[in-house]
Amino acid sequence: MTNTQVPAVRPRAATPAADVSRPSPLRTRGTRLLAALFLAPTVVGIVVFTVVPIVGSVVLSLFHWNVIDSPSFAGMANYREVFTDATVRVSFLNTLVFMVFAVAAQLLIALALALTLNGRMPGWLRSVFRSAFFFPLVLSAASISVVMKYLFNQDFGVVNWLIGLVGISPVPWLTSEHAALATVIIVYVWQQFGFSFLLFIGGLNNIPKEVHEAASLDGATGLRKHLHVTLPLLSPTLLVATVVGVINALQVFEQPYVLTNGGPGDSTRTVVMVIYETAFEQLRFGEASAVGVLLFVLIMAVTALQFRLSRRFVHYQ
Amino acid sequence: MTDSHLARRTLLRYGAYGAGAAALAGTAASWDRLTGADIPGRDDGSLVVATLGPAYGPEAIRTLTEGFRKVHPGIKLRINAVQAVDWSDFFAKILTQIAAGTAPDLVYVATEGVQLFAQRLGVPLDRWVKRDSAELKEYFADVHPSLVESMMYEGHLYQLPVEFNAADMYLNRQVLRRAGADFPAPDWNRDDFTALLRAMKKSSGSQFTPYFWTNRLWGGVVPWLFAGGTNLLSESKAPGGSWLWDSFYPAAEREGRGGGFRWTTPQATDGRVEETYDYLASLIQEGLCTRPEGGNGQNLVGVFSTGRVGVTPAGGFWAGGLHLAGMQASGFDVQYFPRWRTQRHQFGAAGYALLRTSKKQDEAWEFIKYAARRDTLMRLFDTNQTTPARRSMLTAARYAESGPKHWPVFYDTLDKFPDTGPIPAPPQVAEVTEVLLKYTGTALASPRSVRPALRRMQGDLEKAMERDV
Amino acid sequence: MSQATLSLSRARYSLGPWARITALAVCALLTLGPVIWTVSTSLRTPAQSFDLPPKIIPTHPTAEAYRGVFSQIDVWLLALNSTLVTALIAVGQMITAGLAGYAFARLEFRFKKPLFGLVLATMMVPLQVTIVPVFLVLKSMGLTDTLLGLIIPAFPTAFGTFLMRQYFLGMPRDLGEAAMLDGAGPWRIFRSVYAPLATPGLAIVGVLAFNYHWNEFFRPLILETSGQNYTLPLGLVSLQGNLGTGSISVVLAGVVLSMIPAVAVFAVGQRPLREGITSAGVNR
Repeated sequence: MTNTQVPAVRPRAATPAADVSRPSPLRTRGTRLLAALFLAPTVVGIVVFTVVPIVGSVVLSLFHWNVIDSPSFAGMANYREVFTDATVRVSFLNTLVFMVFAVAAQLLIALALALTLNGRMPGWLRSVFRSAFFFPLVLSAASISVVMKYLFNQDFGVVNWLIGLVGISPVPWLTSEHAALATVIIVYVWQQFGFSFLLFIGGLNNIPKEVHEAASLDGATGLRKHLHVTLPLLSPTLLVATVVGVINALQVFEQPYVLTNGGPGDSTRTVVMVIYETAFEQLRFGEASAVGVLLFVLIMAVTALQFRLSRRFVHYQ
Repeated sequence: MTDSHLARRTLLRYGAYGAGAAALAGTAASWDRLTGADIPGRDDGSLVVATLGPAYGPEAIRTLTEGFRKVHPGIKLRINAVQAVDWSDFFAKILTQIAAGTAPDLVYVATEGVQLFAQRLGVPLDRWVKRDSAELKEYFADVHPSLVESMMYEGHLYQLPVEFNAADMYLNRQVLRRAGADFPAPDWNRDDFTALLRAMKKSSGSQFTPYFWTNRLWGGVVPWLFAGGTNLLSESKAPGGSWLWDSFYPAAEREGRGGGFRWTTPQATDGRVEETYDYLASLIQEGLCTRPEGGNGQNLVGVFSTGRVGVTPAGGFWAGGLHLAGMQASGFDVQYFPRWRTQRHQFGAAGYALLRTSKKQDEAWEFIKYAARRDTLMRLFDTNQTTPARRSMLTAARYAESGPKHWPVFYDTLDKFPDTGPIPAPPQVAEVTEVLLKYTGTALASPRSVRPALRRMQGDLEKAMERDV
Repeated sequence: MSQATLSLSRARYSLGPWARITALAVCALLTLGPVIWTVSTSLRTPAQSFDLPPKIIPTHPTAEAYRGVFSQIDVWLLALNSTLVTALIAVGQMITAGLAGYAFARLEFRFKKPLFGLVLATMMVPLQVTIVPVFLVLKSMGLTDTLLGLIIPAFPTAFGTFLMRQYFLGMPRDLGEAAMLDGAGPWRIFRSVYAPLATPGLAIVGVLAFNYHWNEFFRPLILETSGQNYTLPLGLVSLQGNLGTGSISVVLAGVVLSMIPAVAVFAVGQRPLREGITSAGVNR
């Protein structure tokens, strides 16, 4: 029932490449004019509120500026400073570790739940579960982190009480250098996995049932079937989930900011936190911009790498 | 199937039209709201005062504005309660406003930011203080010189303190009773303190920790450094300031006063600093103390008022906080911080700083004086959300409802211990705080990490202090 | 596709249905647990807030905390601001994303690929990197410290444009070609053939926009300076009190109150939202 609502978005038999190569009869002057009109709001908005500010940031990264006095030219000094700064290095490392584990956990949990939910069960139950898994997405990350800080408190939190019931001694979730990053990842994944989950639900619904039936007739069952039949068919969805997940994870801010404020030590300080602290707390806007530019480059590089790798692993029907 | 599908589409389409029309109408109707044109006092040459939102509710703002209008009907005033989680958030917003060229005239600044604002943005109040000295005699007579001195930088006065909070010790009476312990004496020392924590631990079950603290500049590790007779940065006093001391304070009280503190050389590897961290680490090891939690201490009121914590450092602001949390006045009490080498206490104070960019400096000075008046503060601080800077306001009547019983401790922390001083907050305060919190977390995360962490703290502090802010 | 035919293909799934349902139920409980705790704690007195085991059903439920929220902050003004900002951003994004998505999916023009790349690349720009230049741009437009200053920069939406492009791509090409053979121009084809089919897709963009901007914290924190211009998430901060002395029940009551509209929109918009996110993963 549910998957009949958008028949139009079904992937069509034609390969996507056909869209580009086929000489389109729509390539006329009227079309170009319409395209220009339609794109204007988005493109003008992006130029004014993203491109110009990015250029501004790049320019700013070449200056010393504390907001109060007028900027003075610094050349590459900010970048040199940033490259040798231990905190900046650690924050990039933390962010990468965070990204790998958060995205992996998010995808695995989402995939497992989506596959399990795809099994036989009453329709109402299915939609109850689906709503539950999706629910944390509608909450504000900052508010929910305030709540999580109570729950993960070492001495009085509900989490330690719960694991105490099965005889595990209290874990310093937020106050130990070894546990804090993992806790931030847990809180982040808790809120985010619903997004990948929905992507997968949709992807699974779009796999033609004939494929499954054929595989079943060939004797493929359970995990084997998923590994060899479902996953390859799901690979375009996996790509989108990974790309969006990675982009979001590299920009994580609210959770560590509220939960640990970057500590203990630097163990949960992320790049965006460093940008915020350097700019707004230490008034070193030039260096903050330099870190920002580096982060932007990193995000682009990681995304490009994913698309490159995807050519080998992603199968379009 | 197809029919219902189509119907749904149509419905959605009309829904979208409706939404579009409603949005259009809503936009037109609320244009003033969208452009902020309906905010009174905006862009009309009002004197703009930025205060920290959570400390100043809507009620307080009304009180301040209406009271000021009565005294100075000719000066238009707009109070902007900036919503921020803590002081660093607050500064971030003020700075953005300065960057945008829409800086306020006056900013409410706490000890954390006094020197930063003084050095970069502030105007000394000296000439107005000298001009209106007759009028101010009463104010200074009512305010402890330690508070005033904490608002000085290099010989000049930048703010009139209106409130302060010293780090005293709050004790939960119920936990004390459970431990069979007496309320500590004013001159209790560190060993009494440790023994009390042990007694509390023994008499209480799990999910109880005797001592709780928050990893922050105010009330974190620094009060222990003070008690241990040391400081994070070596401390000296700037010359000057006698223009103020000589005209407002009797000889006994102005002795040793200068032109404000200078915090210069980091000394994190000093033996006494190491010893302080060792002590706290040993408390954590013994399960007498929580690991320091980052942030603004939100858990604290809850866990203390419900008896999950026995002792914690806090100031007068907690009387109001605990009352708000529903704690009876008889349920808790306050005592001085325990003596170790010294019984010097740590405090933070706040007042209004005048920005250099202000074009209404004389009007702003009138507001500063108005904000420090006794009747103004009486109306403003009626819920004990902080300790008033004026001694005469600390009365039995003020604390009758909220408690604590030993309320005189709040001001006596200044009067009985004249060396009680402000938290170390040089102009490089942001980085110093960040480094302190970072390595305090590391140092106390595991038993053997104190010394390496302090060495790294020292290195980073040196780097921070070299930096020209 | 009916339930019956679908389950045919699922029949050989290895786990028994009860094991599966139990596992899912445990996961659902873990997912909703913190939310349930939040709601239940907001209904308890502060003194009971740290009770362990937590009393999920409060023994003496009290709305004290909610009264506290209304007395400490101007909830109505904050809600009005939040509603204006979120609703206008949602409508604006539906328009920009609908138009741009169509252009990228169904119109041919030069620089299409690089332009689409540019739109997608904006997803990769952290807010914190550009906020100061954005602030200066707004200043030059006279929009600092206004709600419009929050709304207008949020009109272009990379993910929304991407979604709408997917959505239009999924519509059969033959429809437009047939109309063209009938002599319809590009505008007519959009207006009468594709646009009417796009409403569900636009609903998705709207719901996503609402969801994100209702909870937005960082931009309002930096951009709005007057108390009268605060949105709900910003206003809730003051419930935490001076130096964190606010009552936890009141803080959580504020969280619950701010959750209500997002949950309502979620309930109404769940289906389009689900389908929208779903369609993003399919196709290229």
